[in-house]
Amino acid sequence: MTMTPLIRVEGLVKRFGPFTALNGIDFEVHAGEVHALLGDNGAGKSTLIKILSGVYQPSAGQVYVDGKPAHFSSPRDASLVGIGTVYQDLALNALMSVTRNFFMGRELYRGPRPFGLLDMAMMNRVTHDEMIKIGIDISDPGQTVGTMSGGQRQTLAIARAIHFGAKVLILDEPTSALGQKQQMEVLKTIMKVRARGDIAIIFITHNEVHAKLAADRFTFLALGEVIGRGTKAELEGEDIRHLMAGGVPIRELEHELTAVQQGPRI
Amino acid sequence: MSAAGTTRTEADRLRKGGRLRVVLRRPETGAFVVMVAVVAAIAIASDGKAFNALGLKNNLSIIAQYGIIATGASLLMIAGEFDLSIGSMIGFTGMAMAMMLKWGLPFGLGPATPFTAFALTLVMALFLGWLIGSIVVRSGLSSFIVTLSFLFFLRGLTEVSFRMINQSTQVSGLPDFKQESWFAYIFGGQSFGWLYDLWFALGGNLNRSGGQWVTGLDARVVWWIIIAGAAWLVLSRTQAGNWIYATGDNRDSARANGVPVDKVRISLFMLTALCSTIFAACQVFDTNSADAAKGNLKELEAIAIAVVGGTLMTGGFGTVIGVVFGAVTFGLVANAVFFIPAIDGSYYRVFVGVVLFVAVFLNEGVRKRITGGL
Repeated sequence: MTMTPLIRVEGLVKRFGPFTALNGIDFEVHAGEVHALLGDNGAGKSTLIKILSGVYQPSAGQVYVDGKPAHFSSPRDASLVGIGTVYQDLALNALMSVTRNFFMGRELYRGPRPFGLLDMAMMNRVTHDEMIKIGIDISDPGQTVGTMSGGQRQTLAIARAIHFGAKVLILDEPTSALGQKQQMEVLKTIMKVRARGDIAIIFITHNEVHAKLAADRFTFLALGEVIGRGTKAELEGEDIRHLMAGGVPIRELEHELTAVQQGPRI
Repeated sequence: MSAAGTTRTEADRLRKGGRLRVVLRRPETGAFVVMVAVVAAIAIASDGKAFNALGLKNNLSIIAQYGIIATGASLLMIAGEFDLSIGSMIGFTGMAMAMMLKWGLPFGLGPATPFTAFALTLVMALFLGWLIGSIVVRSGLSSFIVTLSFLFFLRGLTEVSFRMINQSTQVSGLPDFKQESWFAYIFGGQSFGWLYDLWFALGGNLNRSGGQWVTGLDARVVWWIIIAGAAWLVLSRTQAGNWIYATGDNRDSARANGVPVDKVRISLFMLTALCSTIFAACQVFDTNSADAAKGNLKELEAIAIAVVGGTLMTGGFGTVIGVVFGAVTFGLVANAVFFIPAIDGSYYRVFVGVVLFVAVFLNEGVRKRITGGL
C-alpha cells in the first residue's frame, strides 16, 4: 500500500519499572483493512492497545496518526483524533435503553448543559439508523441493553464508536465469551465496517479461525516483540498457530501432551 | 434438518407482549398498586374521615414531608449511593435556623431575619453535602459508612451546640414569623387556599356552624410538588438524568463514555442536603420551634420510600413517580392512627417492615424482567 497508514508506530517501548512490556514494536494500520493482532497472554497486546488508546504513555518510540507524530496524554486525546476502543466489558449499561447507552455522555439536547432537554426522538432515530447500517434491526430502541445478546451488544458498542467519529477501531477480543453463532455475527459486523473503506480495524483475538476469516494483515507478538507479520497472502501456508503460541512449535506441545496422556510417571 | 429455525432472529427471542407487559416492566407499578390498596383501606376504615377537608390537609402535610426527603434520597440511590445523614441534617439545619432566629446571626452580624437564617443555613448544608460527596468520591469508601459517620457527627454536633448556646436541646416560642415575613410564609404558611375556598363555595368544607372549615393546605405541599416535579423532569427528560442513571448502573462504563460521575454524585449529595434543609425550614416556620431530636430515623424512612417506589438498592433504576406513590403510601399509613383510633400506632412500623420486604422482592423481579432474566 502506498497510502499513508492511519496509524503507524515505530520502536514502541513500554517499561513498568524493571519489567519491559513492549520492546520496540513497529506496527501500522490502513483504512479499510482489518489488522489482526495476535499473541498469547502476556505477549503485550493489551499494553500496545492501551498506548494507542491513550491509557498508557510509551517509554520510548513514536506513534504517528495520518503520518504526523501524536502524543496522547489521556484516552480523550486518542478519541479526539479518531481512535475508538471497544473493550471487552463494552462500557454498556444493562439497565439502560439502547438509545440511552448509545448516547451515554454525548446526549443530544436542547437548552443549557447539563439540564438541557433530551431530544429522544432524534436519538432514537439515529440509534436505529446506525444499528441498521451495521446489520442489526432493533425494533425498539427503548429496550434495555440487558435484553440483548452478547453479539448485539458488541455490535452496539462498535456502532457507537463509529458514530462518534472513530477512524481506527480497536476491538479487544470481541469474539471471546460468545457462542458460535454470535461470534459469526460479530465477524459479519467487522466485515461490514471494513467494507466502508474509511475505517481501520485492529482486531485482537486468540482465535486463529476468526483471524483468518476476517483479517487482511497480521502481526504476531510474543514477549513484547513482533515475531511475525504479513498480509493474508504472504502468510498463506505458514503455521499461524505456531506464531500465535509465541513461536513455540506446536508439534513440541503436541508431543508433550501425548506424553502426559500416555502414562502417569508421578 | 435445521431449516426450521433459520428464519428466526435473535430479536425474536425477546417476548414483546402487549401493554400489560410494558406496564409490568415499569418500576412504579408495584408502588401504584400498594398505594391504591392503602388509600382504599384507609378510606373505608376511617369512614372517609381521612379524606375530608381536614383529613386531606393533615395527610398531605406528612406525605409532603416524606416526599421532599425521599425524592432527594431516591435520585442519589439511582446514582448508586446512600445518604444516611438526612435525618441528622434535618436536626442540624432546624437547629441552626431556630438558634439564629432566637440568638442572632453568628460572628456578631446582628439579629437574623427568616431569610438570612435560612440562607446561611442552606450554605452550611450545601457545604456539608459537598463535603460528604467529595469524601465519598475521593476516598472510594462506601457512602454507607461515610454518611453513617455523618449521621452520628451531625446529631452530636446539633445537641452539643444547642446545649452550649441555648442551655436546652429545644427552642420554642419563637415569634410567629409567617405572619410578618412572606419568606417565612412560603415555608410555614398555607397553600392551595383557593382550592379550599372553591370547595367551600361549592358547598363542602363546612364546619359545624356552617362556615368555612379548613382554609388551605400546608405550604410544604407546594415544596413537595416543586421538588418532585423538577426531579422528574431532570431524571427522565434531561442530559443530567441520563448521567444519573448511567452513574448508578455501571460507574466505570459511564466514566469511560465521558459521564462526569464524580460531579453527578457530589451534586446529588448536595441535593439531599437541600431537601433536608427545606424539610427543616417548613417545620421551623410552621411550628416556630426546633428540637435537637428532629428528623430522627428520617434517612431510613426516605430510603424505604424510595425502595417501595421501585428504586433499586443497587442503583441505575427507579422513577420519581414511583417515589411519589411511595410517599403517599407511607404518609397515609403513618397518619392512619389519627383517623382510625382503634388501631395501635406502632402498626405503622409493622406495615413498613412488611411492605419494604415485599418491595425488594418485586423490584428484583422487575430488574430480572428488564434485563431478560439475566
